Amino acid sequence: MLYRVIDAEERDALVSAFMQEYEVVAPVKRGRGYVFDVIESPDEIAYDYSTTTASLKKYLLPPRETLMTFNAVDNCITEHAECIPPRVIFGAHACDINAINRLDQVFRDGRYPDPYYTARREATLVVGMSCMPTDDCFCHLWDADEARFGYDLFLHDIGGRYLVSISSVEAANILEAACNPRVATDEDRSDFRQATRTRQLSFNQNIPDIQDVAMLMDAFHKDEFWDELGGRCLSCSACAAVCPTCFCFDLQDRLSPDGTQGERYRVWDACTSPQFAEVAGGHNFRPDGRERVRHRMYHKLNGFLANYDRMLCVGCGRCVSACKADINPIRVLEFFEEKGSEHDA
Amino acid sequence: MMLREPARVVEVNPLGNMTTPLTGEELMANNPYRPWPARITSITDLTPTEKLFEFRLIDERIREAFRHEPGQFVELSLFGVGEAPISISSSPSKRGFIELCVRRAGRFTEALHAMQCGDIVGIRGPFGRGFPFERMKHHDILLVAGGLGIAPLRSLINNIHDERSEFGKVTIIYGSRSPSEVMFRDQFEMWRHRKDFDLYLTVDHPDDTWDGEVGLVTKPFEHLELDARHTYGAVCGPPVMYRFVIDEMRKKGIEYDHIYCSFERHMKCGMGKCGHCQIGHQYVCIDGPVFNYWEAKNIQGSM
Repeated sequence: MLYRVIDAEERDALVSAFMQEYEVVAPVKRGRGYVFDVIESPDEIAYDYSTTTASLKKYLLPPRETLMTFNAVDNCITEHAECIPPRVIFGAHACDINAINRLDQVFRDGRYPDPYYTARREATLVVGMSCMPTDDCFCHLWDADEARFGYDLFLHDIGGRYLVSISSVEAANILEAACNPRVATDEDRSDFRQATRTRQLSFNQNIPDIQDVAMLMDAFHKDEFWDELGGRCLSCSACAAVCPTCFCFDLQDRLSPDGTQGERYRVWDACTSPQFAEVAGGHNFRPDGRERVRHRMYHKLNGFLANYDRMLCVGCGRCVSACKADINPIRVLEFFEEKGSEHDA
Repeated sequence: MMLREPARVVEVNPLGNMTTPLTGEELMANNPYRPWPARITSITDLTPTEKLFEFRLIDERIREAFRHEPGQFVELSLFGVGEAPISISSSPSKRGFIELCVRRAGRFTEALHAMQCGDIVGIRGPFGRGFPFERMKHHDILLVAGGLGIAPLRSLINNIHDERSEFGKVTIIYGSRSPSEVMFRDQFEMWRHRKDFDLYLTVDHPDDTWDGEVGLVTKPFEHLELDARHTYGAVCGPPVMYRFVIDEMRKKGIEYDHIYCSFERHMKCGMGKCGHCQIGHQYVCIDGPVFNYWEAKNIQGSM
């Protein structure tokens, strides 16, 4: 990876340069938390934000998106074009970039590339920014504390300056024009090593590191633990809404009041919602919370891994604060930790 | 500082680029969410609640490109009502037409049942993995259908019938609740008469006219003789049926990976994305809907 160093003061110039040509989305302070939103000035950016309440996925998979419009009288699809502004996501943390990489695998790289997602993704530049873990962060457990690809630039804070990993020509040109990127010195390199080491040592040590969690999800699939954990699920699906890698959706039609025109759209859906696995005639394959919560955790900590060789969960910790019933992957890891220590007692 | 108007705007258009001539495959891949118009060419009442619909894709390029294997499904669109995954009931050898057997079970199927010949619907697909037709050749076949499970199996049965000499002994067990719910009975009786297949029709609740077997779909297994090592099993029916039928097949000695089952889930996108059809780590829409029993055993929550 090509890298250069810029001074911290050059940061705003870089943002301004992007704003000349793109809509810029960045973390901003909103109430007690942070959100990703379109900015109108670099001053709005909360560079030292912890984790945003909701993830970036809304910019690639909008909560509600029209796929096509149709004439319901003669049952034909009508001309419809979705305009997507070229956009820069500025200041994404490594976990969120890794989350986008997972969405790319499902929506862009598979056997059926999704034209809507792909168009948004191709119109989006990602500028990453290094961070320090909060108490709820466990991205390091799933190897998601570092973004190896999926960004155009990545700004590593090395104290008063940034070591910038440069991935795309488009972003390199803007960096070159807006800042004075210089070749890294030995001091820059050792400060970079120091910074990554400090981050790696700062994770909450109380979150159990269970590397064989996928196999354990199979082994303990019928354990009473799931009754207890899923039994308290409120089916609010806040977990899925804030999760950067929950991508399930529903397809629905809507008609105009006179019934002649309509649209087919997709909306976010969640496997924790009670009707999610229902089929025609009313049979529900996951009728209670126990099965739904277990299924969601299974997909995050085993299912995706089986298909794509990486955890779907990126350990961002958003569901930890979003869930009012205290259901999250950390509780699952703690359960396995408990199981492992039973013999010691 | 004001945000400048974006320099470039990217467009997604579901109608795609229609200016350059594209093949049917390219047109379908352009936007796999786009249903293609199809005309209803025939409607047959099968039971009081089930009808067999025959469709013909209107665009010739799409019609040419549409090729399915037995066990696959399509997403059927009624604009304004929605979309539903429905397994294909016709043999792949019946080119140019697609048959779907549909039970009136909800809002969508209610609307479909109200349609008439000549009406236009939307179809996209086919999707999923069907039965391993080529591998099943030169083997004996045991097909077990319960109720509407006959719909996807009919595609396989018809396809086997098209190439009957490629298969050994073919046994069909088809269970229904009552005689009025037995579908395709004439066709079955004809095949039985011609000794093309060994046929067991069973019903749970017989009436005075019924001269077939009475009891659950597992009952004919009592006097079934088969060469288990050279037999492929295929099962489709209501969720409760699978375990019992597969148990019987296993007892007869059919190998785990020679028993194929078609699973019903609500595949909304058909392309391994929307999540509705997930079982464990598998997506029924792309990994299935047909799984062999060994695969099914390895999916958490499949049965």
